Amino acid sequence: MDAQPAAPGARFVDPNALARIGSLELLARTVVDGFINGLHKAPYLGVSIDFAEHRMYMPGDDIRFMDWRVFARTDRFYVKTFEADTNANFSVLFDVSRSMSFTSGGVSKLDYGRYLAACLTYFSTKQRDRVGLVTFDDDIVTRVPPSAKHLEVVLHTLDRIEAGRPGSFERPLFKATEFFKRRGILLFISDFYDEPQAIVDALKPFRYGGNDVLVFHVLDPAEIDFPYDDATSFQDLETGRKLPVVPEKLREQYRQLVQEHVGALSKLCGENRIDYAMFNTSQPLDHALFQYLAMRHKLTRVR
Amino acid sequence: MGLLAPLFLLGLAAIAVPIVIHMIQRERKEVIEFPSLMFVRRIPFHSFRRQRIRHWFLLLLRCAALVLLVLAFARPFVRSPALAAVTDGAREVVILLDRSYSMGFGDHWERARDAARDAVNGLAPDDRATLIFFDSGAAAGPRSTTERASLRGLIRDVELGAGVTRYGPALKLAEGIFESSELPRLEAVMISDFQRSGVDSAAGIRFPEGAVLTPVPIGSDVAAANVSVAGVLFHREYFSGRERVAVGARLTNRGAVAIEGLGVSLEMDGRPVETLTADLPANGSVTVDFAAVTLTDVRVPGAVRVEADTLPADDVFHFVISPGQVVRVLVVGNERSAPEADLYLTRALGIGSAPAFDVRSTTLAAFEAADLDDRQVVVLNDVGAPPGDAGGALADWVAAGGGLLVAAGERSAWPAGAPDLLPGGVGSPQDRAGRGGALGYVDYTHPVFEVFAAPRSGDVTTARFFRYRPIEPQAEAVTLARFDDGQPALVERRIGRGNVLLWASGLDSFWNDLAKKPVYLPFVHRLTEYLADYRPPTPWFPAGQVLNLSEQEVALGTGGLAEAEFVVMSPSGRRIPVSAGDRAGFIDLAEQGLYEVHDARAADPRPLTLAVNVDLAESDLTAVDPEELAATLTGRVGQGREASAPVREISAGDLERRQSVWWYLLVAAFLLLVGETVVSNRLSRTVLTAD
Repeated sequence: MDAQPAAPGARFVDPNALARIGSLELLARTVVDGFINGLHKAPYLGVSIDFAEHRMYMPGDDIRFMDWRVFARTDRFYVKTFEADTNANFSVLFDVSRSMSFTSGGVSKLDYGRYLAACLTYFSTKQRDRVGLVTFDDDIVTRVPPSAKHLEVVLHTLDRIEAGRPGSFERPLFKATEFFKRRGILLFISDFYDEPQAIVDALKPFRYGGNDVLVFHVLDPAEIDFPYDDATSFQDLETGRKLPVVPEKLREQYRQLVQEHVGALSKLCGENRIDYAMFNTSQPLDHALFQYLAMRHKLTRVR
Repeated sequence: MGLLAPLFLLGLAAIAVPIVIHMIQRERKEVIEFPSLMFVRRIPFHSFRRQRIRHWFLLLLRCAALVLLVLAFARPFVRSPALAAVTDGAREVVILLDRSYSMGFGDHWERARDAARDAVNGLAPDDRATLIFFDSGAAAGPRSTTERASLRGLIRDVELGAGVTRYGPALKLAEGIFESSELPRLEAVMISDFQRSGVDSAAGIRFPEGAVLTPVPIGSDVAAANVSVAGVLFHREYFSGRERVAVGARLTNRGAVAIEGLGVSLEMDGRPVETLTADLPANGSVTVDFAAVTLTDVRVPGAVRVEADTLPADDVFHFVISPGQVVRVLVVGNERSAPEADLYLTRALGIGSAPAFDVRSTTLAAFEAADLDDRQVVVLNDVGAPPGDAGGALADWVAAGGGLLVAAGERSAWPAGAPDLLPGGVGSPQDRAGRGGALGYVDYTHPVFEVFAAPRSGDVTTARFFRYRPIEPQAEAVTLARFDDGQPALVERRIGRGNVLLWASGLDSFWNDLAKKPVYLPFVHRLTEYLADYRPPTPWFPAGQVLNLSEQEVALGTGGLAEAEFVVMSPSGRRIPVSAGDRAGFIDLAEQGLYEVHDARAADPRPLTLAVNVDLAESDLTAVDPEELAATLTGRVGQGREASAPVREISAGDLERRQSVWWYLLVAAFLLLVGETVVSNRLSRTVLTAD
């Protein structure tokens, strides 16, 4: 994947440098605050507390929102309503299957996904969204229901997760559909090692439930470029199966298959109005924020 | 271009090894964990070998190193005409100069040195030469040198030796020089009087093929007349309580003409004592007896000289007369024994001058510790263990180095409480019927019996033994003789620094007839001398002997060799070194005359004088035909100087050894292997970093 051009003033932080920050909250703050400072003039930073309309006072309304000036002019009771918060549910569905623990020397996919989830959760909290988290491998591992007060719980959960078991999409995501009765923004972070059609089939129920679905496809550089040289045995992290491989001979075919996989997944997601983005773990996290906000901006315009 | 060992070229097949290694699949042992093999499994599996060679530079390095190694083992050489032209005609010359004392005959030595100078002057510019001086040994100067001045200096400085002629060591040294030489012509020049006495040592020596020996005889055409002092004898006698020695000299005339009125003089301590005249028959010898001289308590150097002739080295004979040695013996007898019980023993010990025996007798009852004060040997003759303090004193005396002889008899009771001195338990007397027993086994290697080892030197087995006491030797005891029934006859045991000998039968004539046999006297003398650790003084040493000064330390009067600080002066007045370390105290007696050995730490300031005489075998100037010796060494008869210049064809081995190309190849291979190590390590690091 080609590197995205850096926005003016943006501060790109190397994931390897971020990995040395122990606290996820501090990490998220480091990335997000710096990012916001760099983009304070960005046009799509428009989600804020705005006056929406007046409506007639109904018994039971909070009298603190009574507009006394209107009462003085019209002698009628009106209350002010605000479009202050999006009040959206922002949930991260994080694949913690064993393949996510892979690293070719830098930050593992799991850590990269962890940083992504932490940053975007923090970012969403800044926007008064309710934040939640679901981790899954072959089943649901942990669940933090969306709440405006759950930032720390989400960060703590993210901090604790470990990749251990083989993963799948159909079964855990089918279960997860039960958690999201209310519409919200769902962010899927995974390496998506499955057939594209099967993946999209597992995501469709969320989309049909009215959720805005974002898919972050996280891959290690070695998974993209296959830079191995000497013939040796490769072991599948999830199945444990070993295969003798001569990388030199397979490299081109492998790269082609990966590109086809990414292309197919991107195409199917587009067809189903699912936002897809692929991330290389060697790229700065800021890029993920750009990607996310671009999507949010698009959603705002649609709304 | 040639190869000395072309079969090693088969090793070039080993080049296939790195090539195959570079081409075949090299599968790494470690397993790479990968998130998912989903895509890999989709790729059709092909079994194939890596047929593309990687790291060409590394492969070339390895192949080149292997090729160089194989070539080095094949030992290549170059047959270059230019190289041959440089070495053709050059000679490896070995000049052997005889410096034995017979070369001091007349002007032989000067003529010999002149001949050596002529040989050096005759060397061509390309020739290389080695100078070897020899007498009984051989010493070489700088080997294969072209430095003519150095060779002339050696000839100028060399001195006549005191050794005898032995061609063997010198020829062996020359043979070694020839074998290691690369020059095409090998030539030895031997300058000598070619005495026949030295030929035997050259047996088995053969010069390499093509080598020639050019003899340069230095001798007289007329039969060489030579008178020599062949040796001296000492006749010791006591007169008025003083020891006197009469010196007898044996003179030899090796000439064909009788000599009359030859003056012979005796010198004692550097002063002439007596001069006599002697008449010597042709090719005969005569003994001259000088008047006896009284000895003092110290060693006196002396010499017998005849009038100098053409070979002066053998006209004098040096010696050192030591005062007569006395072994002090205490014979302890039984007061109830017959008077003749000690008779044979004391009479036998009363005879003898080298050493003399100072015998004192006592009885067991009168024996006391003070009797041991100045004694070296105690004989318990048919008595039991000394009772009380005397027994303890005897045990201490033995442990301190005394010698004890216990002769068993009727009264040889050794009770349980007595000092543990005997080599074994003594049983009750045992009779042998009929003609009695005899000695069946005798250890002739033991100092007591070694005088009887030679034929017709006395037979100790002729004595008959009618009664003796059986002995059960202790574990540490050694049985020196047994009777014919297997019973021990003489048993030895060491106690501390002393010795105890137990004789199973008597030393008188009651139980055996040994005392009446001729061997009785030397047997008793050897027993006593052995127990007294007697070592006869050596009046002179032959030239060339290496002397162990530790054997002379008694005469030096020091506390021991380790504490001695020797200063040795040679007869020519030179201070010569004494070997240190493992060979401490050894000196090489190379010169004829009197050596003086001083011990700087000795209380007695008088030096130890050692007399050294030349070997008289060298006095026989009979010469061997030089051509005969040359033929023996070279395998060719009738060779002359003109015929002695065959150009030796340089063999392939010599060429290869001279060029030593293999050495450069080996170094180059080593450098390539070092480079290969560096390159392969760098490549490995690159791969690891990529991983």
